[in-house]
Amino acid sequence: MSIVILDAMEGSNSISDKLKERMLQKSKELSHFELRDMKILPCRSCGVCGFKSPGKCVFKDDMHEILYAMAKSSTIVLLAPVRFGGYPSSLKKAVDKFALMALPSYTVKHGHMVHPARYGSKMLIGIGVQGQASKEREESFKRLVENNALNGQFEHKSVVLNASDDMNEIEQVIDNLLKGVC
Amino acid sequence: MSGKKLLLLNGSPRKSGTSYSFARTMKQLAESFGNDVEIIHAIDYFDGKEKIEHLSQLIAQNDIIAMSAPVYADFLPYHDIWLLEKLTEECAKELKGKAFFAVGQCGFPDITRIEPLIDACRFFAEDTGMNWLGGLAYGGGPMINGALLEDIGKKGEKITSGFRLALENVFKGEKISIDAQKCITMDIPPIMYWPLVIFMNQMTKKQAREAGNVDYTKKVYLE
Repeated sequence: MSIVILDAMEGSNSISDKLKERMLQKSKELSHFELRDMKILPCRSCGVCGFKSPGKCVFKDDMHEILYAMAKSSTIVLLAPVRFGGYPSSLKKAVDKFALMALPSYTVKHGHMVHPARYGSKMLIGIGVQGQASKEREESFKRLVENNALNGQFEHKSVVLNASDDMNEIEQVIDNLLKGVC
Repeated sequence: MSGKKLLLLNGSPRKSGTSYSFARTMKQLAESFGNDVEIIHAIDYFDGKEKIEHLSQLIAQNDIIAMSAPVYADFLPYHDIWLLEKLTEECAKELKGKAFFAVGQCGFPDITRIEPLIDACRFFAEDTGMNWLGGLAYGGGPMINGALLEDIGKKGEKITSGFRLALENVFKGEKISIDAQKCITMDIPPIMYWPLVIFMNQMTKKQAREAGNVDYTKKVYLE
């Protein structure tokens, strides 16, 4: 079973390193994408991925590499600083293309209208990192992960870490989060 | 309620889609109250067609700033977050003290799906010392598909009356009222979702036939 990490942390940091180390213990099939270095063009809502080129964006950028890994993965991990109670642009540039993981048709799941998943169910894990603790923004981040999971018909887990927390504590939180994954 | 300056940011990459149609109606209403309104496109700043310094000057000249945006993957689109990050970094002085509100719209009827977008705008206002006046959420944007609100009958009239109420609040410096939200909320009970899904899937199949009987379920990234 393979794992994809979409890492939007700014520069080298011990949280990314620790997460990668723990994930490698879970699976040898790990794709770790450092998004800050990747060229991903914004969605222009052109609609071509609906019927002209079903499930594939016509733009030539690094997102295709991520989507090949995501399509065959069992677990997708989003790691990013919390920005405006959600994802920073460095992560959102990839998340906007999650629409390609869904079909253009509709269904109802858990009392909500959604698009059926193109590649089946997966586990979505959201890890946010805050500079300053804010319960309200933490809840907002978690709700965003939950909504992404609802849209993808994924299982999900999420946590928000404080950058100033002790690394041992962070390790424990990551370990707890990864229990039962894969 | 008159004599104010409102700057409306169209947060959609489409320059004539539903978010723009909403901004256009708000512009007409606000101007009818005697205010000056300008609409700009966030994507032009991302694409480098316009400079952030230009936006900084516009912000300084206006009393109220607003964002009209679609929900992409449950949040503001990438280029809008990029712009809000840029503004936070580079235009903090100009933004401080200005009023800010947001209008979000998404493809599904359930407006709770728009809350993270509205919250993001509220947190942006908090971070920059702006005066947050609230947000409006519209579920079912693609059904409008950029049409002018005056051309879509009762639905357009309801949305327009919601915007009118919201703008009356905004120009008095008040938070947008729940009545404005009620005007624009489409009351589709969840029990009606399945019939709606069946109808929309027929439309999907029709589009696929028109595109040359394409298999829209292809797993292209596993091939």
